[in-house]
Amino acid sequence: MSHVSFVRVHGRNYVSVKRAIEESLELVHSNFGGTADRIVIKPNMCYYYHPSTGEVTDPWFVGVLIDVLRDKFAKDSEIFVVESDASAMKCKHVFPMLGYDKMAEEKGVKLVNLGEEKSRVVNVEVGDAQFKFHIPELFYESDFVVNVPKLKYMGSVKITCALKNMFGCNAFQRKCVYHRALNEAIVGINKLIKTDLVVVDGLVVTGKYTKRLDLVMASEDPVAVDAAASRLMGINSKSVKQITLASREGVGDLVFSPVGDFSYFAKKFPKKGMKDNVREAVAGVYLRVFHE
Amino acid sequence: MSCVYEIGVCILKKVNLGLIGLGYQGKIHLRDLLRLKEAKVLGVADVSEKALKFAKKLGVKNVFADYEDLLKNEQLDAVIISLPNFLHLEGVVKAAEAGKHILLEKPLSRNVEEGEKILSSIRKNGVRLMMSYGFRFHPALRKIREKITDGFFGEVQIAEATNVSGGPFASRSDRVGPVPVSSWWFDKKLAGGGALLDLGSHMIDLLSWYFGEVDDVESYLGYMFNMELEDTATCMLKFKNGPVATVKVGWFSKDFMQSVQVCGVAKNLWVRISPLSPSEIVWKDVKRKFGGNKANPNFLLLEYFVKCLQKDEQPRPSGEEGLRCMQVVSRAYEKALKKSCKKPVMEV
Repeated sequence: MSHVSFVRVHGRNYVSVKRAIEESLELVHSNFGGTADRIVIKPNMCYYYHPSTGEVTDPWFVGVLIDVLRDKFAKDSEIFVVESDASAMKCKHVFPMLGYDKMAEEKGVKLVNLGEEKSRVVNVEVGDAQFKFHIPELFYESDFVVNVPKLKYMGSVKITCALKNMFGCNAFQRKCVYHRALNEAIVGINKLIKTDLVVVDGLVVTGKYTKRLDLVMASEDPVAVDAAASRLMGINSKSVKQITLASREGVGDLVFSPVGDFSYFAKKFPKKGMKDNVREAVAGVYLRVFHE
Repeated sequence: MSCVYEIGVCILKKVNLGLIGLGYQGKIHLRDLLRLKEAKVLGVADVSEKALKFAKKLGVKNVFADYEDLLKNEQLDAVIISLPNFLHLEGVVKAAEAGKHILLEKPLSRNVEEGEKILSSIRKNGVRLMMSYGFRFHPALRKIREKITDGFFGEVQIAEATNVSGGPFASRSDRVGPVPVSSWWFDKKLAGGGALLDLGSHMIDLLSWYFGEVDDVESYLGYMFNMELEDTATCMLKFKNGPVATVKVGWFSKDFMQSVQVCGVAKNLWVRISPLSPSEIVWKDVKRKFGGNKANPNFLLLEYFVKCLQKDEQPRPSGEEGLRCMQVVSRAYEKALKKSCKKPVMEV
């Protein structure tokens, strides 16, 4: 059973957020013994959205996290903040638009478009499905991978959090080709790239509507984080295929132990209800029939 | 355009059209053009093979990678130019020199200087130019103009036009997820301007259509996305006829809203164009399905353009109106520049 911490941020300022991140790491007993020469941080920069929409990881949050990591064990480490071009999003535009280039300059870290990095084509099997992924060399050369996802609903795979965020580590640009078996593909990439630490930017979340939740979640297990996230969002984690599949494939543990204010956040999260799901399903069918 | 006499009745000749540019708006134009009874699409041009395949799938026989090949067709009466902003000048000049009438996607140009060159080419070659400002053809917004003319509002004092969305960065459909954005949208030199030029020009044109000539402009621009181009613009327009109107536009939102408000001494009215409620969407689809295209502003715009060509009349909004709109946009940029340290976006 993996621990997942839930910490409330009191006030939107540097000190409060830093304290919350530190507390969230302490609660899951993150072992920062030793040092890491190269650290890779993977935020969610899925599209040209403003961080206040809750759709993308706030660069300011990542900046505070970098300071925490430097204090804990990475004083002299080389830190890389990474994302890769996708079918609809290009890193050369999203980095400046979201403010990642300024953050990287301020914190002295490198901003990397994985699509432009050297990568290896690696095969992976998930159940009966087989995938080829372009895994950037950077991951083979790094000591520590930090996943900084958001907390969102996502139609076809139900939720997007830690497991889905790693999908952006595939250097292959046309990621839409994996969408036919997206759950399996998500698990596949997580089998190839091991996450050492997950710190969820839950300052703003995209639930039924956008909400300031002031949450920091942390764990060393991405499957446990997603199981906890789905519970928070009112979804039975056993009904989320990517989570059960990842657990079966040994990526992590489906059973988690919440530490901190779990019930407070579960109450506060803007959950979608049965009515919303029915409405969405009807709208989907309607659009398919009348708008195609 | 001549008419053909059949059994003593003058039947207006079908207008032969070409379409240059098959981006997001170009595709909408093509779908609507193919439904127009008074027009025939002789060919389309686009640099993208995928876009040309799309046109062929819809039944267009002649597709060209180079629009100059399309312009060589002597049977062509007019072209619809739906190219990126930085290609408007070149596209219009070439089409005008080929003697084709033009329907041009807004804005007229990237700046006033380019706009003037466009108009001088139009005049020199004796062709007609219409600007594609679709809001003028929206039934509810047309009704507002009728009411203004009829005196329904009394003297109008205040008006407001809002157009907020993600602009080119918007996910155009919730079902298909985020859409790719062409790189020219990120480039100040190529786009010519941001939200003010892209969405603001729509609303400025609409308000000018309602109230006439703009006397004075005040404006504020916002840059929350760290781009060279503004993603937010708020303008105050003082019209010579009296009303003061605010234009609020933005590229910053995941959501969208288009509305117009008119306040007069006798009546006030607020019209919401979008977002539509689920029941309104269904009703709109039903109307489209069974009532034809009477509620589709883009179809009405194309139909009007074709009818004007058939009757040999100047369609509106004309190129001159497009230029006047550009002059207001340009003044708004100048005014905003004085208040901020940002460089003017209209410099190309």
